Amino acid sequence: MNINLDKARISRRTLLKGAGVGLGLPWLESMAASPVTSASPNRLAVLYMPNGVNVTAWTPEGTGRDFKLSPTLAPLEDLKDRITVVSNLWNANSKGGDGHYVKEAAILTCSTIKKTPGADLANAISMDQVCAQKVALQTPLASLELGVTPVAIGVDAVVGYTRVYGSHIAWSNASTPLAREINPRSVYERLFRAANVGKGNQSKQDTLLLDRVLGDAKRLRAQVNSADKLRIDEYMSVMRSLEERVTRSSSGAQQSWKPKVALALKDAPTDRPTDHAEHVRLMMDMIAVAFQSDTTRVATFMFGNAVSNVSFRFLEGVTAGHHDVSHHQKEADKLRQYQLINRWHIEQYAYLLRKLAAMKEGETNVLDSSMVLFASALSDGNSHNPHKLPLVLAGRGGGRIDSGQHLVFGEDTPVANLYMGMLEAFGAPVERFADSTGVLPGLLRG
Amino acid sequence: MLRYAIFLTSIGAAFAGTNSFETAQDFLKRNCEKCHHEKAAAGGFKLNLVSTKTSLQTDGEKWKSLALRVKNGEMPPRGGAVPTLDDREQFSQWVESAVRAEACSAGIGAGPSPIRRLNRDEYSATLRDLLDMHLDIGHALPVDGAGGEGFDNAAETLFLSPLHSEKYMEAAKFATDFAAKEYKSHGMIFEKKDHPPQLVLKRFLTRAFRRPVTDAEVAPYLTLFQAAQKQGEPVQPSILFALRAALVSPMFLYRFEPANESKEPRLLDQYALASRLSYFLWGSMPDEFLFDIAAAGKLQDPEVLQQIIPRMMKNDRSLGFTQRFAEQWLRTRELSTDKVPDAKLFPTYAASEDLRSDIRLQPVLFLREIFLQNLSLLNLIDSTHTIATKQLATLFDEKLPLNPNAASQPQWVELPKGSRRGGLLGMPAVLTVSSYPYRTSPVLRGAWILESMLGTPPPPPPPNVPALEETNPGSTKMTVRERLAQHRQNPNCAGCHSRIDPMGFALENYDAIGRWRDQDEGKPVDNSGELLDGTEFNGPAELKQVLLDRKDLFVRNLASKMLGYALGRGLTLKDGCAIDSIVAQVKSKDYKAQALLEAIVLSVPFRYQAGLKQ
Repeated sequence: MNINLDKARISRRTLLKGAGVGLGLPWLESMAASPVTSASPNRLAVLYMPNGVNVTAWTPEGTGRDFKLSPTLAPLEDLKDRITVVSNLWNANSKGGDGHYVKEAAILTCSTIKKTPGADLANAISMDQVCAQKVALQTPLASLELGVTPVAIGVDAVVGYTRVYGSHIAWSNASTPLAREINPRSVYERLFRAANVGKGNQSKQDTLLLDRVLGDAKRLRAQVNSADKLRIDEYMSVMRSLEERVTRSSSGAQQSWKPKVALALKDAPTDRPTDHAEHVRLMMDMIAVAFQSDTTRVATFMFGNAVSNVSFRFLEGVTAGHHDVSHHQKEADKLRQYQLINRWHIEQYAYLLRKLAAMKEGETNVLDSSMVLFASALSDGNSHNPHKLPLVLAGRGGGRIDSGQHLVFGEDTPVANLYMGMLEAFGAPVERFADSTGVLPGLLRG
Repeated sequence: MLRYAIFLTSIGAAFAGTNSFETAQDFLKRNCEKCHHEKAAAGGFKLNLVSTKTSLQTDGEKWKSLALRVKNGEMPPRGGAVPTLDDREQFSQWVESAVRAEACSAGIGAGPSPIRRLNRDEYSATLRDLLDMHLDIGHALPVDGAGGEGFDNAAETLFLSPLHSEKYMEAAKFATDFAAKEYKSHGMIFEKKDHPPQLVLKRFLTRAFRRPVTDAEVAPYLTLFQAAQKQGEPVQPSILFALRAALVSPMFLYRFEPANESKEPRLLDQYALASRLSYFLWGSMPDEFLFDIAAAGKLQDPEVLQQIIPRMMKNDRSLGFTQRFAEQWLRTRELSTDKVPDAKLFPTYAASEDLRSDIRLQPVLFLREIFLQNLSLLNLIDSTHTIATKQLATLFDEKLPLNPNAASQPQWVELPKGSRRGGLLGMPAVLTVSSYPYRTSPVLRGAWILESMLGTPPPPPPPNVPALEETNPGSTKMTVRERLAQHRQNPNCAGCHSRIDPMGFALENYDAIGRWRDQDEGKPVDNSGELLDGTEFNGPAELKQVLLDRKDLFVRNLASKMLGYALGRGLTLKDGCAIDSIVAQVKSKDYKAQALLEAIVLSVPFRYQAGLKQ
């Protein structure tokens, strides 16, 4: 036997060159009549950490403006007046079911997922996507979904959920999770392509092509049963929005989107980060670049999938994997390690915040125009509790968020109320989001 | 019927339990009626939905899901009186067999045939074969999740994101640009110089859509061609432009089977069957040979199919099948993502990419060899041979008769007498994926055997598992075995852990990357285990015997997994009857590997399409 499994891999550079800057993805203003004049648009990012927190080291002391950061949140000290720590919220609809999937898939949807190995995936639209859909046509990309580990494989036979649930926090509708990019270089190249307009001829070709495949889809749709029609609808809606972007990009009537800061391919990062820490940092950089260039205004990032057991032995004093440590069984040593891992995540968050703060935009900076939420879907990982969720919101949302506070609520306050406030600050207000009962008091200015 | 055989060994004569429809109703009344009666249907579920015998047939899925909830201890909820584990399992086992018996009473059904997107691997392989282009062109696509029986080719979870659409556009452009320049790929499209554009398009679309296309279907592509011409493009680039659209068309990206409008099930269309076969055994499009047989209308002939299977397996493309199937079935794919042994504790593993690759490939190539040589599937439990390389032999610490001229190439070798490496359980890939990054875990390994080999996954741990320290302060100095023994003293934990842990203990001689050890942290390894029925065993050799005693459970699980993979969807109750028949055929042919492939390919769900009546 002599089998050569080496696949000839094309370098990403080659692929990119081959594709040229061809995808005429584009640059649009949502309404010709109301060009966005704000020098600093609203942005929203969510960083999701799996496996919960060591609760004893999480919550700040004191409330309101006079509060002292906890050991885990200490890395945010220099940003204290730009963050809002929100305590005691919970996600009622993620209460039942198993320990992880129900909670993680619902962190931004506040819905109860359907227990299924896949046939009838059911969740709800996530709050980031409510924002993305609102501003979809104002930037080249509607949103950016990022992670560092591929989708978890398989069906969890023990609890009967497909692991697709534990690998996606962003859902464009009840049955469609949004695929994530995990290669930092690909992210940069995608931003670059999106920000650099195709030539007139290219856009025209793309339009013809997309028109053709939509024609095939229509014909196919007529031949399949109703369940399969939904699949074709999914295809058509994705292709239509691509077509819409291409068409608008080539129409002279539209005011052109321009990158606020130009991207250059030579700045693309490595596609093989040496370790977990570098990988995460590069993804933080990509969010920053995307926001700074205004290629997108909505991003979600997953530090890991549900039940992630990434080894954190690279941290001094940590000897075990993430999920193992989260089941600390109240052992002092595990709790100590758990806290170190939590704190490391906060350090990465702080890194992104500082980076955004350093990006000047006229009189202001990118952080102040953004909302950057750090969230886990559990409080104590040992008991899988969706009460008292660990949540920190950074940035001032263009001045709407009354930052620099520790807000403490009653224990039955839905996290959806926080999202109501964020949606309003973003400029995408809704009357109700999932089980919300109103905007979280004290969150917004005036 | 055998599904819970292992779990059931604990049931003595003391309790009669659920053994009939009446006793099942009695169980439901006792445990569920309080919350699920007519007027207050908690969770929207009323008991009267399952109160008649006919409901076993009409609402089989409902029965099944309630039985799973009962078995897993989700229902009835904690707080009130909860039936014992034995009680719950006996109930769920009765439900499972009763529902299956009902489902099978009408014969074996064809099941759904949903439309499915080509997954990332299938997409790359299809483009490879379509354009003779040996590049992993789908590498930039997002990884697909898995559904159904746990595979990433399951129709259910192959959704489409905006990210996909951009990548498809780029890849199509790349592929057609590539074909413009590369001689071989060019020849796959422009077969003869004098072919008119219409014919070139038609021939290509037939292959890309994996079925004959009509002139009406070619016409819009011809229009695309003409549009490019009008823009001043030469002939060939204009054709390539039209083909670029074909590569983003749903006709290419999705596999679909013409709907069966009749009431009754029917044999699949020839071309649809050709695609089912090729995506099952190759993960790619049908080749010319399969197309020709389909065109001749002979693909549904069982004798033809029997001849085709070994031929397809001999093709190198079947490596893709064994790799995707084995790595997802055994979960060893995780070794390339999140299961990474700690580099400080296991420098040998961390240092050598070659070794890691050998470790990952061993079970894949082993399975493939079993198919190629048509050996018994029981070799997966224990075998006199394995796949090895120089690097693996060193890790095994065994002297193996490797070909000295190609010792670093994976090869089929005979194991020495008394070897500890026969079967899946001697393979580092399996032993590593069922360990923690820094130590072994009898729990993970025991659960791995129950789930991956026997298909009887243990129920999930109850919520709010009490802390180990409550039973044992200062536990850190105890061995894993001692701590688990403590754990089992808690009756909440004992029920399951007394089933999970013993099998894992028998593998304690293998460390967290699968090396043999006689001592662990200075103490001799204790590799003894005892099942609830009193079966005692020591070490891997005796454990394998225990598994061989349960070979039908193993084969049934393998058959279900493979049928799920072959169909690219989750299995239904009706498919359970097809599995019964597949297992019976495999058994009657001495568990020969190709008998399994044959039985699957010839099965009703694989060759038929359900009618509207179902």
